[in-house]
Amino acid sequence: MDIRSFLDKAAKGRWGAAYKILRDATVFPGIVAALCDQPCRQFCQRTVLGDAAIALRDVEAACLRYAKDRKPQAYVIPPKDKRIAVIGAGPAGLSCALNLAQKKYQVTVFDRESGWGGGLRSHPRFAEFDEELALQFSAVDLEFRFDSEVKSLDEVADFDAVYVATGADGESFGLLESWDKNLLTTSNPRVFMGGEICGVTLMEGIAQGITASKVIEVFLQTGKTTRPHGDHDYAEGCGRYLDHEGEVSVPLVVPSGPEGYTEEEARAEAARCLQCDCDKCLAGCEMLRRFHKDPQRIAREVYTDMVVNPPFSTRQVTREIYSCNVCGYCKSVCPVDVDIGALSQFSRTARMSAGIHPAALHDFWLREMDFNTSEGAFASAPKGRETCKYAFYPGCQLGAANPEYVLRSYDFLRDTYDSGIILGCCGAPAYWAGDQARLRANVEATRRRWSEMGEPTLVFACATCESLFHLFLPEIPRVSLYELLAASDKISPAQPYPAAVVFDPCAARDDHGMESGVRELAGKAGVTLDELTEKNHCCGHGGHIRIANPSLYDEITRNRAEASDRPYIVYCVNCREVFASKSKECAHILDLVFDLPVTPRVPTLQEKRDNSVKVKRELMKQIQDIDFQPERHEWDSLRLIISDDLQKEMDQKLISEADLKEAIWRAETYCDKFYDEKDGMSMCSLIKPVITYWVQYRETAPNTYEVCSAYYHRMRLGQKE
Amino acid sequence: MAVDSEARTWKCAKCNVELVPKKAVLEYLGHTVSHEVPACPKCGKTMICQELAEGRMSEVEQQLEDK
Repeated sequence: MDIRSFLDKAAKGRWGAAYKILRDATVFPGIVAALCDQPCRQFCQRTVLGDAAIALRDVEAACLRYAKDRKPQAYVIPPKDKRIAVIGAGPAGLSCALNLAQKKYQVTVFDRESGWGGGLRSHPRFAEFDEELALQFSAVDLEFRFDSEVKSLDEVADFDAVYVATGADGESFGLLESWDKNLLTTSNPRVFMGGEICGVTLMEGIAQGITASKVIEVFLQTGKTTRPHGDHDYAEGCGRYLDHEGEVSVPLVVPSGPEGYTEEEARAEAARCLQCDCDKCLAGCEMLRRFHKDPQRIAREVYTDMVVNPPFSTRQVTREIYSCNVCGYCKSVCPVDVDIGALSQFSRTARMSAGIHPAALHDFWLREMDFNTSEGAFASAPKGRETCKYAFYPGCQLGAANPEYVLRSYDFLRDTYDSGIILGCCGAPAYWAGDQARLRANVEATRRRWSEMGEPTLVFACATCESLFHLFLPEIPRVSLYELLAASDKISPAQPYPAAVVFDPCAARDDHGMESGVRELAGKAGVTLDELTEKNHCCGHGGHIRIANPSLYDEITRNRAEASDRPYIVYCVNCREVFASKSKECAHILDLVFDLPVTPRVPTLQEKRDNSVKVKRELMKQIQDIDFQPERHEWDSLRLIISDDLQKEMDQKLISEADLKEAIWRAETYCDKFYDEKDGMSMCSLIKPVITYWVQYRETAPNTYEVCSAYYHRMRLGQKE
Repeated sequence: MAVDSEARTWKCAKCNVELVPKKAVLEYLGHTVSHEVPACPKCGKTMICQELAEGRMSEVEQQLEDK
């Protein structure tokens, strides 16, 4: 029973609504409210505060008194031709019989006694229970065969299903050994069993009768036996959690008279219910709040999503699972470690494997990964060496944000630890896209490279890289750049910076070395540090949700930027980019360490690519004395004039200058474009595997084009009609 | 910064003829929808303007992704 909902309605004096919940859950509320031994009271969260548990049975009894209309509802549904025999007219058999009769199955109840009630017939309050049974059965048609002892199942061979509920000392027809307490099945596929004959209490017997009715119905419809959805065993508690902070003690309401609670007293007692539910993850996660879904519902929907037949059913959680930052926040605050990010990852991976993923949502980052694992990649031991004990793994974005971050850090590591370098991609784009094949290939390539370099300890600057290596390449020893910098006497950061707070990236949640290294460095730089109330909350970049849910991304990034009035010190370049784009004052810890200018400007997509190439070129020259020549394209020599506003818009839409150059070059070379004679405006498109880009432009000088607009769509033009 | 390409008279550069409205089939994630868009009457090359791409098309794309 949904006790919270029942007590909520009771507290409001909505006795009719409360009664409906009670009746639907217990079938015979008049018996349950009188006899239930209330196992729920031992789990009531009131007891944690030192109060008595809610007097549920007394509130239920009051509900029966104050509900105006207790007449059972007659359901207008067509009669069914399946016949069910229920052997035993005790509470267990009757609850099953009543539920099946309500659904218009043809039910026959057998009992050796002359009337119903089973073990209750000898109870001192039987007259009351007899009245309750008569009331509840008043709206259904079924056949009772009293004084009819079933001695062999052959006697009920012509029924489609049989429910044996013959009571404590009843006949089990030799099926007790094979009884399944979860499914209530026996070795005879059409015979089910439950109630006191199986050793359960009278109350549990009623509950089993209700479950049996559902199991039997599924069996009659499909021939299969499964536990009905939503039914579970509460023997280990209700599974709800409550943060008791701020809750005050309220004593048990004692009835003023012998008849039990007055209406006011019952309402007051019901109002003691704490309506306990844990909302810790929802309270802190914009995604969960946006979609108004609790973890149980998301889990159910992810499961349903997996088993649906794509052309015939509607998916329910696409936007949610691709809107998750996979930041681990929910798990970190959950009393039972529920990880919605893991569910999202599970679903993304399953969709990718099944080929039913919306590719456009992660296409940009997967293309970035392709670049960083090919043209942008480079791995080498230090100059003149084949192997090394340390190798710097800066991650793909550190050098893209500012080449100096990588070059200066490498200088330090080379001089101090004789370190090599690996420029590459940790695989986060593939991981977040659910692209296991690409992720696996990258992991294998990285492992090979690491092995060839003499299995060095990798030095990480990026918490996301570090966490992915922890997940997929745990055999590789790891250390954070910031710890090594903090431990060195050679490093004495001295750049003046105002009092700030450290914004820890979500991926550094379990990386205390990284967290403390950064704090030590900031301290060395003389920065007065404060801590955020909520640490390791994702800046918004995690999970690559930006394309899947731009407005949610905007909400998250704004909230994080506003989490403190003080400037931030960050050590993840993605966090830095997010805050710079929100005009939040922030510095990367490496700005302070290497005395680099703290600039709020975010490089454009093209500048980031150019920066990555610059880092590779300089390191290749320095270590191997090779002049790296990146792949050249015919369109590289085009000059584009892009206004600041349009550049900002393009970066926001993740449209790169290189794609526009390619589009214009192809259009001009093959005359494959539209044009307007009036002013020479041209328009062309570039079809990439997932996205089609469009650009409107005009030639202003030879090989020079002013870009007027740039946009894209995901749909493909199909056959023309 | 949407540019109103509807107010312009676009010509197909290859065929040197003005575009005319034509029904085109758009495909996405296994679904198809049709929409009238400017196209070259000679070679059939189709143009998608910014307003359509970032308006109705984007809405339909999201609906189909959510399906």
